[in-house]
Amino acid sequence: MTEDSQRNFRSVYYEKVGFRGVEEKKSLEILLKDDRLDIEKLCTFSQRFPLPSMYRALVWKVLLGILPPHHESHAQVMMYRKDQYSDILHALKVTRFISDTTPQVEVYLRMHQLESGKLPRSPSFLRQPEDEVFLAIAKAMEEMVEDNVDCYWITRCFVNQLNNKYRDSLPHLPKAFEQYLSLEDGRLLSHLRACSAVSRLPYDLWFRRCFAGCLPESSLQRVWDKVVSGSCKILLFVAVEILLTFKIKVMALNSAEKITKFLENIPQDSSDAIVSKAIDLWHKHCGTPVHSA
Amino acid sequence: MAQPANVGELLSMLDSTMLGVRDDVTAVFKENLNSDRGPMLVNTLVDHYLETNSQPVLHILTTLQEPHDKHLLDKINEYVGKAATRLSILSLLGHVVRLQPSWKHKLSQAPLLPSLLKCLKMDTDIVVLTTGVLVLITMLPMIPQSGKQHLLDFFDIFGRLSSWCLKKPGHVTEIYLVHLHASVYALFHRLYGMYPCNFVSFLRSHYSMKENLETFEEVVKPMMEHVRIHPELVTGSKDHELDPRRWKKLETHDVVIECAKISLDPTEASYEDGYSVSHQLFTRFPPRSADVTTSPYVDTQNSYGSATSTPYSTTQLMLFSTPRHLPQTLSSPSARLLPEPLQATLWSPSSVCGMTTPPTSPGNVPSDLSHPYSKVFGTTGGKGTPLGTPATSPPPAPTCHPDDYVHISHTPQATATPPRKEERTDSARPCLHRQHHLPNDRGLEDLHRSKGSVTLSDLPVFLGDLASEEDSIEKDKEEAAISKELSEITTAEADPVVPRGGFDSPFYRDSLPGSQRKTCSAPSGTRGSIVNPEPFHSSLDKRGPDTPKQAFTPIDLPCGGADSSPAEDRDRQTSLETSILTPSPCKIPPHKGTGFGSTQPPPYDHLFEVALPKTARYFVSKKTEELLKKVKGSPEEDYVPSTSPMEVLDRLIQQGADAHSKELNKLSLPSKSVDWTHFGGSPPSDEIRTLRDQLLLLHNQLLYERFKRQQHALRNRRLLRKVIRAAALEEHNAAMKDQLKLQEKDIQIWKVSLQKEQARYSQLQEQRDTVVTQLHSQIRQLQHDREEFYNQSQELQTKLEDCRNMIAELRIELKKANNKVCHTELLLSQVSQKLSNSESVQQQMEFLNRQLLVLGEVNELYLEQLQSKHSDTTKEVEMMKAAYRKELEKNRSHVLQQNQRLDTSQKRILELESLLAKKDHLLLEQKKYLEDVKSQASGQLLAAESRYETQKRITQMFELEILDLYGRLEKDDLVQKLDEEKAEAAEAAEERLDCCNDGCSDSVAGHNEEASGHNGEAKTPRPSGIRGSYGARGAGGSSSSSELSTPEKPPSQKAGPLSSWWDTTVGEPSTSIPTVGSLPSSKSFLGMKARELFRNKSESQCDEDGMTIRSLSETLKTEQGKDSGVEAKSPLNLDGPHLSPPAPDSVGQLRIMDYNESHHEHS
Repeated sequence: MTEDSQRNFRSVYYEKVGFRGVEEKKSLEILLKDDRLDIEKLCTFSQRFPLPSMYRALVWKVLLGILPPHHESHAQVMMYRKDQYSDILHALKVTRFISDTTPQVEVYLRMHQLESGKLPRSPSFLRQPEDEVFLAIAKAMEEMVEDNVDCYWITRCFVNQLNNKYRDSLPHLPKAFEQYLSLEDGRLLSHLRACSAVSRLPYDLWFRRCFAGCLPESSLQRVWDKVVSGSCKILLFVAVEILLTFKIKVMALNSAEKITKFLENIPQDSSDAIVSKAIDLWHKHCGTPVHSA
Repeated sequence: MAQPANVGELLSMLDSTMLGVRDDVTAVFKENLNSDRGPMLVNTLVDHYLETNSQPVLHILTTLQEPHDKHLLDKINEYVGKAATRLSILSLLGHVVRLQPSWKHKLSQAPLLPSLLKCLKMDTDIVVLTTGVLVLITMLPMIPQSGKQHLLDFFDIFGRLSSWCLKKPGHVTEIYLVHLHASVYALFHRLYGMYPCNFVSFLRSHYSMKENLETFEEVVKPMMEHVRIHPELVTGSKDHELDPRRWKKLETHDVVIECAKISLDPTEASYEDGYSVSHQLFTRFPPRSADVTTSPYVDTQNSYGSATSTPYSTTQLMLFSTPRHLPQTLSSPSARLLPEPLQATLWSPSSVCGMTTPPTSPGNVPSDLSHPYSKVFGTTGGKGTPLGTPATSPPPAPTCHPDDYVHISHTPQATATPPRKEERTDSARPCLHRQHHLPNDRGLEDLHRSKGSVTLSDLPVFLGDLASEEDSIEKDKEEAAISKELSEITTAEADPVVPRGGFDSPFYRDSLPGSQRKTCSAPSGTRGSIVNPEPFHSSLDKRGPDTPKQAFTPIDLPCGGADSSPAEDRDRQTSLETSILTPSPCKIPPHKGTGFGSTQPPPYDHLFEVALPKTARYFVSKKTEELLKKVKGSPEEDYVPSTSPMEVLDRLIQQGADAHSKELNKLSLPSKSVDWTHFGGSPPSDEIRTLRDQLLLLHNQLLYERFKRQQHALRNRRLLRKVIRAAALEEHNAAMKDQLKLQEKDIQIWKVSLQKEQARYSQLQEQRDTVVTQLHSQIRQLQHDREEFYNQSQELQTKLEDCRNMIAELRIELKKANNKVCHTELLLSQVSQKLSNSESVQQQMEFLNRQLLVLGEVNELYLEQLQSKHSDTTKEVEMMKAAYRKELEKNRSHVLQQNQRLDTSQKRILELESLLAKKDHLLLEQKKYLEDVKSQASGQLLAAESRYETQKRITQMFELEILDLYGRLEKDDLVQKLDEEKAEAAEAAEERLDCCNDGCSDSVAGHNEEASGHNGEAKTPRPSGIRGSYGARGAGGSSSSSELSTPEKPPSQKAGPLSSWWDTTVGEPSTSIPTVGSLPSSKSFLGMKARELFRNKSESQCDEDGMTIRSLSETLKTEQGKDSGVEAKSPLNLDGPHLSPPAPDSVGQLRIMDYNESHHEHS
């Protein structure tokens, strides 16, 4: 970031005045111009600022390790990825796991299953909960990324990241969620407790699926920016913010079932605001991530 | 008793007429009694008394002391049992009891009481009964609480006697019944007064019986009319009445008064305390009360009292003298002492009652009827003139006068017999007392005189006042004195009637309304003893008895009838026979015979009236009214149902007295002997007996009444004491008040002085304050000064210390200076030494200077010599210089050369250093680049690896699929024949495999196909299958290592490596060819190295560059392979050719660097 400030001393003031993201695109471009991409800087950047959509796929791919940091090898590696994709696709087609009519999302699922060696013996086998998660994420990702190969790879790596990197921290999120909710609004939490709805909140939807299918993709990708860049806590704050936003309605509801039902189908219109507030909240509680290098 | 034989003599001596002897003997007896405790003497005394009725003996007996009481009581008890002696012993008992001996409480325990009761229940002789009842009545108040056990006996006796009153059993004469009735009436009063509840309940039970009803109607009921409701009936109970605690508080006289209080009978009643109402009642109903008061009872009582007194007088005076007394008194006092008569007459109505001298004149009676009033109480009016008496007694008076006068004049002398006088001396004190009072009395009398005009109505009040005034002070003393006197007199005179004191008291009572003194003096006068000192008294005495009579006569007259009544008393002995009353005649003989001795009853009548305490006040008014009534209709009175037995008795006595006086009147008034003789012969024995009995009865009654009076006297004394005390207290109070006032004044004075003192004190304090403040200020100043001084002293002290310090310092300095001095001295010495030395040195110096001068001159000489020799050396020097210059130049040029060389070499060094730096930089860059490349490669490698992974997955999947299909096929084959089918199946399998391989190769990469083509050809010494093949494949592009054997191998073998790979990753155990698969992996590095060497030798055509690159890559791989394992090899091999083209130039550099690196790493 020191380079950014050197480049444009006004950038600091932009933020103060309220113009956020004016310099982000430029700085991101500068970052991306480096021959050897600095992954940490990219991480910090994406945590601090919303990614411009035109670079989102690239950044994600880099951050998820689909593309190496070197520009030179990008083409080749991408070619490998494509080959891999097509090989798997071919193999699945050969083995008749999928057909042309199979929905793209399921294709991704089968490919993922194949890669992880969990391909069931027959396509008719019941899906596991993790498969559902994958499907949901893939569906959301399909909306965000145009290219199938990219989409598959990003989805795959995203899910892998959830399963590997966040495997330990995800189960703790509900507790942390309660804690932050009590900090933000104790009454709401007590109301939830009174309704015994705390344990029955849609944690699966929120933390396992990362709000896939809960928020519209346009706002969801901003959340996922943070998730991809290595912070799963943002999920928690989004959840908190959802509850805070719909506090009045939630307070009006008395049974845990109704609350859960409502939260699973929240209105889509205010999602952008929710996400922005959630990010602010996240910054407020966890501090603005600063590039340590 | 020392001489028992003498007892008889002594007893006989007792009766001697000589008073002196008598006294001596009594003294002897008393001494004996005191010394002896035996019953003997008492018994003999009692016996003697019973025999002789001797008064002295009686006196001794009645005054018996404690230890003898038992004997006496025993003796009495013994005699009570005998009918013959019963009467006399009862009378003795009566005497004893009336005196209230100190041992009276023992009476209740003595066996005498039951026997007395028994006697009362059994006896039929009325005289005895009456006597006994009276004794009992007298005893009752003395033993109130102990008498309760005999309560029923008392009631029984009452019941019996009350019925007797009506039934008159047997021979009992009417006259006795009157007495009996009176005594029963008294008993009724006593019982009702003492035990109301019990008594009433007894009455209720007793008279509820039919046979008793009549008795009740006739006897008891009238009695009850004279009684008010006893308060105890309301508040008390049967048990409470008998409670000893109730009686403990009350003395005998209290009990008597208690009983009197509830009586409505004016003769009995007591008007003490709150009974004024009843009093009013009486006044309100004059007729009735009049009836009551006029009742003969009063008279009888009076007569009783007089009876007691009279005997005495009679002994000395002639019986008939008394009537004469009146005129005497009336005349004589008036003649002698002017004031006296007035008084006497004044008092006469009250005191006189008894003495009915005037009545002697029967003719007077009617006239008296109107008069008596004015006389008796109205004396006030008529007092100035002792009219009453003269008026009433004119006829007799003149006649009597001379005699009486003589008598009186005689009496004093007679009475003033030597023995008596001696006695008198004994009682000198009382006399003195009296004399003391005399002035008072006189004053009073004067008062009376002045108040002579006091109206009748006022009189009682007036009298009361007087009495209260006088009495309060005098009474006690007087009484005591009188009683003493009398008792002594009585003993001396051997008067049978014991109660001398009683004697006095009635008089005394009289004096209550009137003047006591006179009444008191009256008896004394009668005795004569008192009269002696004061003639005045004597006159009074005479009058005392007389005046009552005057007052009385009117009363008597109507009762007794005009003729008989006036002379009643005196006449009794003489003219009773003639009197209308039947009993009267009988009276005389007993009087004489029984030896009440020479007792003559007549004059006692007036005493009766006097004896009744309460009646006194009302006496006059009632009397008058009664008289009036009687005048009008005297006969009616008797029939008045309410007449109490007392009245009846009273009347009886009066009548007797009247009869007697009548008789007397008929007779000439000579000496008694005439009377005696006159009466002595005529009366029949029977009548004499009855008369005697009657007399006895009367006597008893009289004694009883006297006893009552005594009790009243006691009570009065006590009350008086209270009054005195109250007065004293009042005075004391007043004195205290005065004192208080004085003290208050004192206090005020003190207060004033206190204020003054306070003011002074405050002034002083102010002064003191000012002084104090001044002193304070002074103190402050002084303190201030002191502090200043203190400070100064401190300063001075500090200065002193400073000075001391300075001195010390100075001393030190001094020491130092001394030291210095010493030192300097030392130095001085040294210096002097030195000085001396220096002087010597100076001398030497001078010497040396001189030498120097000499030497200088020498030198100058030498210089001169030298200058002359210098010119020869200059050429040599110049040549030397030139040589030196040349040498210098040479050396300089040499130095220049050297410098130049140095510069060049330095430059060169710089160049070389820069070169070195460049090279370092390059090196760094190279390193960076290498890093870059490495990471790039690793990135690519990762991608490739992932691809490879996926490939493996794919193949696995395929294999799975294939195996699946195989499974299906085999299943199908099982159905068909095996042989034929097997071959076909093998072919099919081969084909399939090929297809699969092709498919795989196609899918993997295009150039693999070429490689596979090459593989078929160039496959030489490779021991391993796949690894070799893959490794070859990497090198396949450049080297034509043909390993064609691979495709020829059986499919199972081909599949082996695959399956082995499968095994490693998936972990499925594969049976096929583990050994083959393991070979390449185990030999990989060694093999590769060997291969390199081998290849370098055998395949010499290989490009050096390529070799280097390959070897480089190989080494790199091996190094990496150590980390990442076998998998990394193939991709690297693959990468090798790819990498080679882009950086052909920098191979050398790379190599160097690599070597460096490898070195680094290896090292």
